[in-house]
Amino acid sequence: MASTTRVLAGPVAPPAGSIAWSRRVRSALWWSLCGLGLALLVAVVIWVLEGVVQSAIPGWRWSIFTEPTNGVGGGLSNTVVGTFVLMLGVGILAGLVGIGTGLFLSEMARPSPLTAVLRSASEVLSGIPSIVFGYTGYVALVVGLHWGFSLLAALIVLSLLVVPYVAKSTEIALNQVPLAYREGGEALGMAKTYLLRKIVVRSAVPGMATGIIVALAISVGETAPLLYTAGFSNSYPSGALTHAPVPYLTYATWTFWNEPTQAVRNLAFDSSVLLVVLVLGLVLAARLVVRLTQRYAPERSRAGRGAARARRGA
Amino acid sequence: MDNVAPLPAVERPAGPSEVMAASDLVLGFGDATVMRDITVAFRRGTITALVGPSGSGKTTFLRSLNRMNDKVRGFWRRGEITLEGEDIHAPSVDPLVLRRRVGMVFQRPNPFPMSIQDNVIAGVKAHKMARRSQLRDVAETYLAQVGLWSAVADRLNDSPFRLSGGQQQLLCLARALAVEPEVLLLDEPTSSLDPRSTEAVEELVRRLTPELTVIIVTHNLAQAKRLSDNLILFSEGQLVETGATNALFERPKRQETARYLLGEAGALIRQ
Repeated sequence: MASTTRVLAGPVAPPAGSIAWSRRVRSALWWSLCGLGLALLVAVVIWVLEGVVQSAIPGWRWSIFTEPTNGVGGGLSNTVVGTFVLMLGVGILAGLVGIGTGLFLSEMARPSPLTAVLRSASEVLSGIPSIVFGYTGYVALVVGLHWGFSLLAALIVLSLLVVPYVAKSTEIALNQVPLAYREGGEALGMAKTYLLRKIVVRSAVPGMATGIIVALAISVGETAPLLYTAGFSNSYPSGALTHAPVPYLTYATWTFWNEPTQAVRNLAFDSSVLLVVLVLGLVLAARLVVRLTQRYAPERSRAGRGAARARRGA
Repeated sequence: MDNVAPLPAVERPAGPSEVMAASDLVLGFGDATVMRDITVAFRRGTITALVGPSGSGKTTFLRSLNRMNDKVRGFWRRGEITLEGEDIHAPSVDPLVLRRRVGMVFQRPNPFPMSIQDNVIAGVKAHKMARRSQLRDVAETYLAQVGLWSAVADRLNDSPFRLSGGQQQLLCLARALAVEPEVLLLDEPTSSLDPRSTEAVEELVRRLTPELTVIIVTHNLAQAKRLSDNLILFSEGQLVETGATNALFERPKRQETARYLLGEAGALIRQ
């Protein structure tokens, strides 16, 4: 009896110097370190947002959405259109290649030297600095194939840059589909491709979509590879795949702040705001996709990180 | 019970009494042999319980009956399994058709991440067994058969994961039944369920025979006794004894059967 009472009372009033006391101190220490890390991260985001918006407000004009750049002022409409065209193209190109690669690695390939090579090639690709991609694209496509600064060169280089992300997130999302779903389908006599289409891929959609959206966010923010491949233009994208430079938002941010006219310098800050808003929008879109496609998922689904949390918060 | 060996309540007039059979079956993974020299037959319209200590190979054996082990790395097999007298490994046999004829329900309920209705008709749609306009009726039929209809009638489009564990397992049974199998394999179907749900599943399984032949792996000897017509006792990858359930419980021929069925589950392992 006595011992029971002691155990029950122990955590409530630990004697000084007991194990419980030192554990509490350690726990508090680790929690404050974690809290500090989080605070630092959030602080940086707020700092960037604040800085960008503060700089943009004084010279903000809504006409930037309707006027194209003209070198001495104007707006940003052509760069906005250009960025969306690039985004669409990367979404299609990198989406197809990346999802294909991820599907192959996760579902079709048996472990073999070939898949090992493919996987490490993908990892190496994701580690190459973007300016190297840009320069390679410049040498091979812009000059080598005589495409000139062009949409196609830019799309290929940007897609190469983000395909590893899409492939990896697709592979991970597919690997996280519970074995029970697959076995359930097999036990009903579903063909492999049918099972893949109707059940496996469907429950991997949140993870795959998140991968593509992150890839889009990366490509929206890229500058170096585009300087080498897309060039720049004051007019709207013509739709031609080659021999026509493409305007894009990051070019405005990268070059305009250093221009002589205040009107153009303002555009550099305006484009920064648009870029931040665009990336924010993409992140929200990823959340939305996860939420919408998780309607029938188990509460503690691992497919799509944060999905369960998002649902509980709903 | 009396001395009468319990025969299946109703025999289908046509066809032999054996639906499935295994002869000289040896199963293994890689270097390990999991099951040795299994020769056994499953009678039409009966419930056969596979019992034995953990690791005795019951589940491996069960999963071989609809070739669910085929894709497991390192799995190999010698010997023959037949369905209606036909070798299920014959080149002419499509494993997808086999699995439709020999359905399976797993230990943990595994509904698909789709609506309740879509779960029931998942297999029906995969095999194009009904017109689009009939799908809802199919769903109702099988939900009613498993006794779930009244509980889910007004939420067919809800997520199945909001159902209780027992209801989820009944849903999985409905899904398996909807493709109209001839044999149903149950791998410890009630081990993760509460007593009331267990009762519901057992009651359903009883109702399914003799139209259907049921083979059930269970760790629960009381369940095997309540539910099954025939019993197969495995131990360490070998068949120890098989026969009518009542006969086995009352007059086991072998010492280790007696000890296992009387609750000394360790007897087989200690030997």
